[in-house]
Amino acid sequence: MKVTFQIEGATPVEIECNAGDNLLELARRANVAIDAPCSGNGSCGKCRVRLMDGQLDSIKSRHISDEEYEAGWRLSCNSKVMGDCTVFVPDIASAYQSRMKTADLSSPEEVAIFEKCQNDLKASGITFANRFRSVLLQMSEPTEEDTMPDNERLTWAVQDALGVEKVEIPYFVMVKLASTLRSHGFAVCVKGELAGDTFRCMDICGSDDKMIVGCAIDIGTTTVSMVLADLETGKILAKGSSGNGQIRYGADVINRIIEQSKPGGQKKLQDAIVKETLTPIIAKLCQTAGITASSIVRMSIGANTTMNHLLVGVDADPVRMDPYIPSFFGWQGLKAGDLSLPANPLADVMIAPNIGSYVGGDITAGTLAATIWDKDEMSLFIDLGTNGEIVFGNRDFLMSCACSAGPAFEGGDISCGMRATDGAVEACTVDKDTMEPTLQVVGEPGQKPVGICGSGIIDIISELYRCGIINARGLFTREGDRVRRDRHGCGRYVLAYEKESETGREISINEVDIDNFIRAKGAIFSAIDTLLRSVDMTVDMIDKVYVAGGIGSGINMKNAVNIGMLPDVELEKFSYIGNSSLSGAYALAVSDEASTKCAEVAANMTYLELSTYPGYMDSFVAACFIPHTDAKLFPSSHQEV
Amino acid sequence: MSFVPKTQPFSGKINAVTLGTGDKAIVIGGQNVLPFYTFDAPIENAPKIGVEISDAADTWTAPAIVDFYAGCTTMAERAKKAETMEGADFLCLHFESADPNGANRSVEDCVADAKAVADAVSMPIVIMGCKNIEKDGELFSKIAEALQGKNILALSARAEDYKTVGASVALAYGQKVGAETADDINLAKQLNIMLKGLSIAPENIVMNIGTAAVGYGYEYVASTLDRVRAAALAQSDADLQMPIMAPVSPDTWGVKESIASEEDEPTWGCAEVRAIDMEVSTAAADLVGGADAVILRHPAAVATIKQFINELV
Repeated sequence: MKVTFQIEGATPVEIECNAGDNLLELARRANVAIDAPCSGNGSCGKCRVRLMDGQLDSIKSRHISDEEYEAGWRLSCNSKVMGDCTVFVPDIASAYQSRMKTADLSSPEEVAIFEKCQNDLKASGITFANRFRSVLLQMSEPTEEDTMPDNERLTWAVQDALGVEKVEIPYFVMVKLASTLRSHGFAVCVKGELAGDTFRCMDICGSDDKMIVGCAIDIGTTTVSMVLADLETGKILAKGSSGNGQIRYGADVINRIIEQSKPGGQKKLQDAIVKETLTPIIAKLCQTAGITASSIVRMSIGANTTMNHLLVGVDADPVRMDPYIPSFFGWQGLKAGDLSLPANPLADVMIAPNIGSYVGGDITAGTLAATIWDKDEMSLFIDLGTNGEIVFGNRDFLMSCACSAGPAFEGGDISCGMRATDGAVEACTVDKDTMEPTLQVVGEPGQKPVGICGSGIIDIISELYRCGIINARGLFTREGDRVRRDRHGCGRYVLAYEKESETGREISINEVDIDNFIRAKGAIFSAIDTLLRSVDMTVDMIDKVYVAGGIGSGINMKNAVNIGMLPDVELEKFSYIGNSSLSGAYALAVSDEASTKCAEVAANMTYLELSTYPGYMDSFVAACFIPHTDAKLFPSSHQEV
Repeated sequence: MSFVPKTQPFSGKINAVTLGTGDKAIVIGGQNVLPFYTFDAPIENAPKIGVEISDAADTWTAPAIVDFYAGCTTMAERAKKAETMEGADFLCLHFESADPNGANRSVEDCVADAKAVADAVSMPIVIMGCKNIEKDGELFSKIAEALQGKNILALSARAEDYKTVGASVALAYGQKVGAETADDINLAKQLNIMLKGLSIAPENIVMNIGTAAVGYGYEYVASTLDRVRAAALAQSDADLQMPIMAPVSPDTWGVKESIASEEDEPTWGCAEVRAIDMEVSTAAADLVGGADAVILRHPAAVATIKQFINELV
């Protein structure tokens, strides 16, 4: 028998199956993306599909109403195939994307932030130079008198051009040496790496292909972004991003680790990132940049510890198991060829070192890019994502920790959440007396709202609290036209009525959304609080706050302070530094000094495991309140009632 | 030179909350020192003891309790009798039969009982519900209305129903409201802040910060009591300066040390003595931790704890 998946906005996919097969498993086997953040145990209700034809043996779930069940909606994770059937799969690919605004240098603001990061790094004394060389060689052709073989001829030419003593010609180059030399009349370009008095050839090609390229990749749990850079000039040649293909195996790192522990899981997860995610983007970027894949002679990865493990294909289970010691922190020796990535097989894949199970290379790369290791002033670096990571310190010491914030900052877990694209409410103010909102919507003037992105959620909650519409627990305390309640009494604030929205559906934020967000912000603030306490410091000792991550440059720091998410320090101390993991990875790719520095920064960073830290839970409960149970921590937060 | 002890009263002070009216009215709280630290400053109001009277009291089998209430058939008769108990300061009416998942007594019946008690006694009255959020909301509101002017305390408002309970009990009918949280100093403080946010005066709020019988996770209670009191006194945290009432008996009379029969546990000794011991040890621990009032059931426990308080204050 077979199941046909009709995918919204894509061609249908068919798969052969047996009676009793689990529908979600089948979908995964058929590479059909069905969002299943809970990894298929029926608790999240996200893996909905609609039965169009045939029969399924489904357990009726609390996530599906009677009307929806009648209309054919089922949870794929608790549905078994009974016979031939056709199911409709909603457009999830875009839902993945909607979880996060990707800071992928697609806007001029992001590019400006990225460039500022690189300039700051240079100002910190990091030279943007590397040991990769591309040399044009003109050799004389062999004759009966000039009987030198190809490899010696090449060696002589390289020695002459670069003044090195030894030249290594690896197998990859050796096999194409003869044909390349002859097809180009012995005028070729040799690319490779200088190591002291040795030059290691990595590629040989025609003299028209001189470019040597570095590929910097930020692998996030949700999204992946990448840039290709000219290693001689540092210029960015191409940039791109996409969702992380592992998403169908769970939304967070824990579910992915559980999935990879199953038989064949490591290979499955590794294929999802390498073959399905990285390979297509690299291929596309190479095309955009007009380069051959073998010109990529160096790759760098900024990714969290779990993503690093899954990429390399080593067991990530120790990451989630007490005592939380992963297989590697820093590790050198990985080549692009080991992963069959579309790049020069000899290219080093430099993984920015992890420093703990939950503070990974994305943070060490980010810390490098934020240059807090070069300053006397006390800096706080916060990466807001599914996991929030915090680094605090200066040139003398660095402390770090991680907390699980959930997907709320990325618009996940929020009923009307979306990424910061056209139609997203990115900022909002509310009139205290009339309770009417004024929305700022991403897009052309006149764009109607579609949903709310992370920065919008911060604004709305801050404004509702300021106007006394919600209380410190996030419950509605004022009634009015804008406040609606469902039959259970759960309140919501309507940002746009049905007729005002793009979709014809009401856009609102309800008490459950607010509660989810309060937990997320509580996780972040309590992590900051605990980290500061661990070094006996207080909020007023912070000189600088760098905010990185997908939440977007639109974040209103004043409102973030007002709700108790970020510490109450002077607003001018805050700066948004974009996708610092990608900035750091770029620096690693183009600068040898940056990669040395990154390893040094990682080695000097102390990791605080919050889950075993006494007092963290207490601090978390205290922070799950607007602005905080201890109002003294937020003197500038206020309610106008 | 003679030894002059250094006294250490705190600048923070526990709110004094009055319950009941007339001669029998009681005040709980009011001190600015740790529990029983009479050498630092006088304890303004000694801790008080309430006697639990349940609408399910006919199921109580401890001989001394049965004897004590012999001849009483109604809640009002039991209450009147309880007023004579040695050491009793106030009465706690526990409407456990109102639970919709149990006997599901109607709110009207419970209100009638409460009214009859209020007419018959002069001691302050504390009301405990059945732990069902919706039923308790209605119950507290109706009883608070019926007993207007009696200055009763409703135990308790929780995070889930603080608005309904706070608004009706304290704001509409001018009674006192209890703030119940589960062994967490932050949650306790948050609920107080929210009750104050409803514009309920702090002097009308009493806290129940969570209870347990000794041996049943009591460490959490002990640590929460310590920390709440330390924050109130040492840090002058106005959001935690409400006096604390600990309903001891509903917890202790539910654990196996109190209810296992002598046939089932022949080596444990007399069941009634065990139950009294559980009440006494839990109440004593609560009081030295910072509770300003405890609710007990057995006459012997009430007498013992009264003696304990008198010795220490």
